[in-house]
Amino acid sequence: MDAAVMEEIKSALVRELGESKVLSNRSDIVLYRKDTYRIDFDDDYRYIPDLVVLPETTEEVRAVVRIAARHKVPLIPKGGGSNRTGMLVPIHGGIVVDTIKMNKVVEVDHRNLYVTVQPGITLKDLEEHLEEHKLALNQEQGSLKVATVGGSISTSGFSRKHQKYGTIADRVMSLEVVLADGRVLRTGPKVLYTSTGYRLHQLFVGAEGTLGIITEATLRVEPLPEARGAVLAFYDDFWKANEAAQRTMASCVTFTGGEAYEAHDVSEYGAPEGKKGMFYVGLEGTAGEVEAQKSYIKKIVEQTGGILAKDDDAIDFLKLYTEQWCGARAKTHFEDVLTTYVPMEKMEEFYDRLWNGICKKYDVGPLPGERFSLDVGRYRIVAGRFYLPKGEDRWHKYQDLLREIAVLATSLGGSISSCHGVGIQHKGYLDLEYSEVALDTMRRIKRAFDPDNIMNPGKKLDA
Amino acid sequence: MTSHETEKMFEIAETCVYCRCGCCKDGCPMYSELLEESISPKGRNELIRAVGKGIVEPDERTMRIAYSCLLCKRDEFSCGAEIKNADATEAFRQYLVERGMPLLPEHELLIKNIDNYGNPWGEPKSARKRWAKDFQKRRLVRGGTGTLYYVGCTFSLDRTLQESARAMASLMEASGESYGLLLDEELCCGSTIKRLGHADKYENIRAANAKVLRETGVKRIVTACSGCFKTLKQDYGDLLDGIEILHSTQYLARLVENGRLRPGQLSAKATYHDPCHLGRHAGLYDDPRSILGAIKGLQLIEMKNSRELSRCCGGGAGVKTAYPEISRKAALRRVKEAERTGAQLLVTTCPFCVQTLRAAASESGSKLEVVELSVLLLRTIARKGG
Repeated sequence: MDAAVMEEIKSALVRELGESKVLSNRSDIVLYRKDTYRIDFDDDYRYIPDLVVLPETTEEVRAVVRIAARHKVPLIPKGGGSNRTGMLVPIHGGIVVDTIKMNKVVEVDHRNLYVTVQPGITLKDLEEHLEEHKLALNQEQGSLKVATVGGSISTSGFSRKHQKYGTIADRVMSLEVVLADGRVLRTGPKVLYTSTGYRLHQLFVGAEGTLGIITEATLRVEPLPEARGAVLAFYDDFWKANEAAQRTMASCVTFTGGEAYEAHDVSEYGAPEGKKGMFYVGLEGTAGEVEAQKSYIKKIVEQTGGILAKDDDAIDFLKLYTEQWCGARAKTHFEDVLTTYVPMEKMEEFYDRLWNGICKKYDVGPLPGERFSLDVGRYRIVAGRFYLPKGEDRWHKYQDLLREIAVLATSLGGSISSCHGVGIQHKGYLDLEYSEVALDTMRRIKRAFDPDNIMNPGKKLDA
Repeated sequence: MTSHETEKMFEIAETCVYCRCGCCKDGCPMYSELLEESISPKGRNELIRAVGKGIVEPDERTMRIAYSCLLCKRDEFSCGAEIKNADATEAFRQYLVERGMPLLPEHELLIKNIDNYGNPWGEPKSARKRWAKDFQKRRLVRGGTGTLYYVGCTFSLDRTLQESARAMASLMEASGESYGLLLDEELCCGSTIKRLGHADKYENIRAANAKVLRETGVKRIVTACSGCFKTLKQDYGDLLDGIEILHSTQYLARLVENGRLRPGQLSAKATYHDPCHLGRHAGLYDDPRSILGAIKGLQLIEMKNSRELSRCCGGGAGVKTAYPEISRKAALRRVKEAERTGAQLLVTTCPFCVQTLRAAASESGSKLEVVELSVLLLRTIARKGG
């Protein structure tokens, strides 16, 4: 961007927002250059935004968008910044619109069970606020201390309680969005159920900021449960734990969520030596309901040869499990994580071809005890954490590796990325998952919302 | 700054940047108020790395960011990898100072005072004994006593806090403990100058103070200041080897436990604020609580964020001077949290916490009484005696 133009833009932004909400010093803007994605191993500072703005109101967002639209300058909407696929990387320069100061709870409606918030509130802060009202959004993910409501909607974030309460996509009722021309779109009325109109709000779920900037969200909430419980069990290996997972999913129990995975060190939760498979299920509801469901799941565990942890250990485990996300990459030095979806009957084949075929070819291995993981419930994410290729040209090897994993997942009838979105990481092979007609329709939608391609350009799909 | 220290700083920054999770922001008192990336441990680590790689040429803004941290370590309890962010930030300050970056104007007076008066408050040496008019006979005689009560600059020189110094001395008297005071011969421990990154000045202060302390011949040093305690205990290296360093709460808890101090009755509800230097830095959470627990009739109600998760009062590491408005907001937030417990007393054990929280309580018209633990304990004992 021409320095004189950027200076003009900066002056205009300062006039509208005030000096404290416009950052231009290099000590500041360098810190907004990306999310948790790595641009390139050896060129980490290739993209740095020109400016960063920190609006507090919809009107301030409108002012920013109008100024950017006038100069056709890219805008990169930002939430908590925990995304893994490069959605925040300013590959065409421009202005990062950090919504983190838009963190107010606008309205809690007890009777109609919804909450209206600004997009910058973190999931943790919102849950704490709702708890005071004896309500819950029930969106639990590792990044909940960091991830914002706006960011979670924009990446179609996952929730560990998805089985009972759905993911953020199921929580969204209505959105307020500032469009690329500065107009404010209200996607629909704040009603719990309607069959009128197109479901515009769903267009913004997973849109990665490419269609507009979310400035307010109305979300379904639930009363706090009377009781909570958990079942935790240890197995010889993942595949044994998977048997319990499959039987639980085929049962009529409405658990909150669960996981079967290969475990590294589970001794602290009372596991006997040598156990490498773990299976847990969370339960919420009335006290009687939770007890009955617990007994039902425990029976499945017994029938599949699992060893049950004590109830207290199971509850402790659930609390700690969510915390583990924080600092995980620093602690274990893993680089990337799969969040693929594959049909259940293909899971074994997927893992076999992944670890014994593709990863061996690139001399890449999983983290100890992180080869297999399945989110138990209706959104069955098949995950694994792995180290990256080493040696010369490792960046390109990494890209080739990702592509081969994408080909494998889609060829088995699955999806490349269940909950981490596309960003710039997976953009190059969306055609594996979508037909040309589907992609063309998406491009038309993008052009209808953002004809000048200023909203997070170069992410999700090429306009 | 040794090359090893510089290397360590960049290593911490690199580890954090590799991860970039940002969980450190949760509960960070500075980030909560400003919500800017740079005002977070993650952001600062990013900046350290960028400066190290020559991507950012340090300027005044870099300095402001470096000095925006309370060094409270709250973030390190949100980080699964336990990254030592406070160490990195303190080292970054030193690194910038040694690169010749100009001081923040707000810190100039503080540093000038330490240079000229040997304390951050700009008080003459003789002022150090003002609090102790009734304790002159306790001037330490070399080899004559086993315990030194090291008062510290802030408790001895801030008139609003001198009641704490007197209370602590009175408690030592009441316990029958043989102790001594350095009075006007006491020197600054160097905590403030160290946190501000002036390593050379700190080294001189540390060496001079350690010499005075060693020459007393005492076996034990007791201090009620959390900053002095952390500095003497953790930052003096082997200079005080062989001398037991105790915080007043450790010492008083012992006296209560062995019956040499018998707390009286006080019917009230109290909440306890863990000072960062005592709690997260030194891991001392139980002793203050056991003293409060020994006061009959006193009901201790914990705040939502207590012990490791306690929120900083906003008064530490030069932030109160450089960012007074943010420091004030952090203190107000803590006072509000204390109010929500329904307590009448907000008890703490650090002079800076007392100063900062008291100002916030007063400004907000809070009914909470902010009281230093020695003062509260003496109150119950005096009441019982009287």
